[in-house]
Amino acid sequence: MSEKEWAETLKRLREEHKETVARSQALLKEQQAKRKAIRKALEEGPRTVPEVADLTGFASHDVMWYVMAMKKFGLIEELEMDGEYYRYQLTQEKAK
Amino acid sequence: MVQEKIRVDTLVVGGGIAGMQSALDLADQGYQVALVERDPSIGGKMIQLSKVFPTLDCCSCITTPKMSAVAHHENIQLFTYCEIQAIEENDQGFVSNALQKPRYVDVDTCTGCRQCEYACPIDVPHPFDRYLGAHRAAYVPFSTAVPQKALIDMENCILCGKCQRGCPANSIDFTQKEQPFEIESRAIILATGFEITPPDAKKEYGAGQFHNVVDALVMERLLAPTGPYGHVLRPSDGKEPDSIAYVQCAGSRDKTLGVEYCSRVCCMYAIKQAMLISGALPLADITIYYMDIRTFGKGYDQFYQTAQAMGIEFVKGKVARINEDENQNPVVRVEMIDEGSKVVERMHDMVVLSVGMLPCYDPQPIFGVRSAEDGFVLTPSINMAPCVTEHPGIFVSGTAAGPMDIVDSIVLAGAASAEAAAYLEANDGNRRSVKSTTNAARVTAHA
Repeated sequence: MSEKEWAETLKRLREEHKETVARSQALLKEQQAKRKAIRKALEEGPRTVPEVADLTGFASHDVMWYVMAMKKFGLIEELEMDGEYYRYQLTQEKAK
Repeated sequence: MVQEKIRVDTLVVGGGIAGMQSALDLADQGYQVALVERDPSIGGKMIQLSKVFPTLDCCSCITTPKMSAVAHHENIQLFTYCEIQAIEENDQGFVSNALQKPRYVDVDTCTGCRQCEYACPIDVPHPFDRYLGAHRAAYVPFSTAVPQKALIDMENCILCGKCQRGCPANSIDFTQKEQPFEIESRAIILATGFEITPPDAKKEYGAGQFHNVVDALVMERLLAPTGPYGHVLRPSDGKEPDSIAYVQCAGSRDKTLGVEYCSRVCCMYAIKQAMLISGALPLADITIYYMDIRTFGKGYDQFYQTAQAMGIEFVKGKVARINEDENQNPVVRVEMIDEGSKVVERMHDMVVLSVGMLPCYDPQPIFGVRSAEDGFVLTPSINMAPCVTEHPGIFVSGTAAGPMDIVDSIVLAGAASAEAAAYLEANDGNRRSVKSTTNAARVTAHA
């Protein structure tokens, strides 16, 4: 399939799946904002989940989910424990 | 439109451990089998578990070879992400109408490299990790999935095309549609498995609203090396727990839930998890609140005794309520039966509910097979033929028949395949379907 045919197929499908696409786009927007805030909280150094929650104002269970998702996809890495909590930092490559 | 028709000796519905074992047992005897699984990978609940009792074998290590054996067996045709929608009976047996759901990925060219997943921008709570981890809208179900092929979760997809641009094999195909096909078989084995007690079932235990009150399948994922956190941590804030409690019979032997039976696995999995947590968190205090401890299988009671010797605290008492303090610590209100039945409140970092096994599939509408009062598939001669349903030619395997552990599921799976084989031979022993290199078992009819 050519690039043009692909673009047309996607356009047609976006129209067909209008409702789910709109819902997913809203979800993506929210996720991007939260990931950005979490990245910002980690820019100055490694933090625990409750520290990130304090800095961002997000619920700590929400931060936990995002941090674990970002860790899975290589955006965040885990460091040693600080008391009862692991500390997390931006993956060095991504932070540069 | 091309409609494919497949002819086999036996259709197995469900690709968990019981369905896989039944399929393998029949296929090893030379029977042709079609295995249909509704999820995008086979493996069922067992592949989600960390280790098995009482041997503490790594679950993935013993399940993955079976999954692989199913996928590569020359007598098994595997259909994942596929559902049976209706069956008809004729003098040859059964004709099942199956529906192949679209993966939006060409499985013939996809290599499972996950580049599409890395390219996709949307995170979705992952059911395999009990929603504590994430997958992307384009994803491979899990690291040992069979088949190791990607799919697109269209419910969460924005159709941005990034997966297509990221795919080195050009495998993304958004034009795929649902594909109906027919499976002709002379026997059917139902291996549709079970569900666990839903998180909101017990209002007095927080109704699923407390992040640090989790079900036992969540703890399995936390203990698994491939789990969502990589460690046992609290979902509320990532704290390493110092004190973990188990609440037994949280969904079984409970008239308020309409589940009067014992689920038969909860005592053993709680003891197993307690032992595994002891290994992962040697300083943690672990308490099991129980009504009765039921360890009836081979080597099971020794397992219980080992756990006691390891210092795991067993407290006889029924937990009446779980509240949460301001730090999201669960507070358990329990009657301590061995201490004069006094009622105490004890705080823990996490509580694990030993949830029960519930039926998850009613085969009556499609297969004409009734369920018993407990909701599991009815087997009229439970003592003499525990895998024979009231419908000739339809058998039941594993937890579709009732709560049981992995050992018993495998035993029943073998029994179901033996019953199916006997049925096939008795009804027409000379007409085994033969799968040849010319694909004689596959008949393609142009509709």
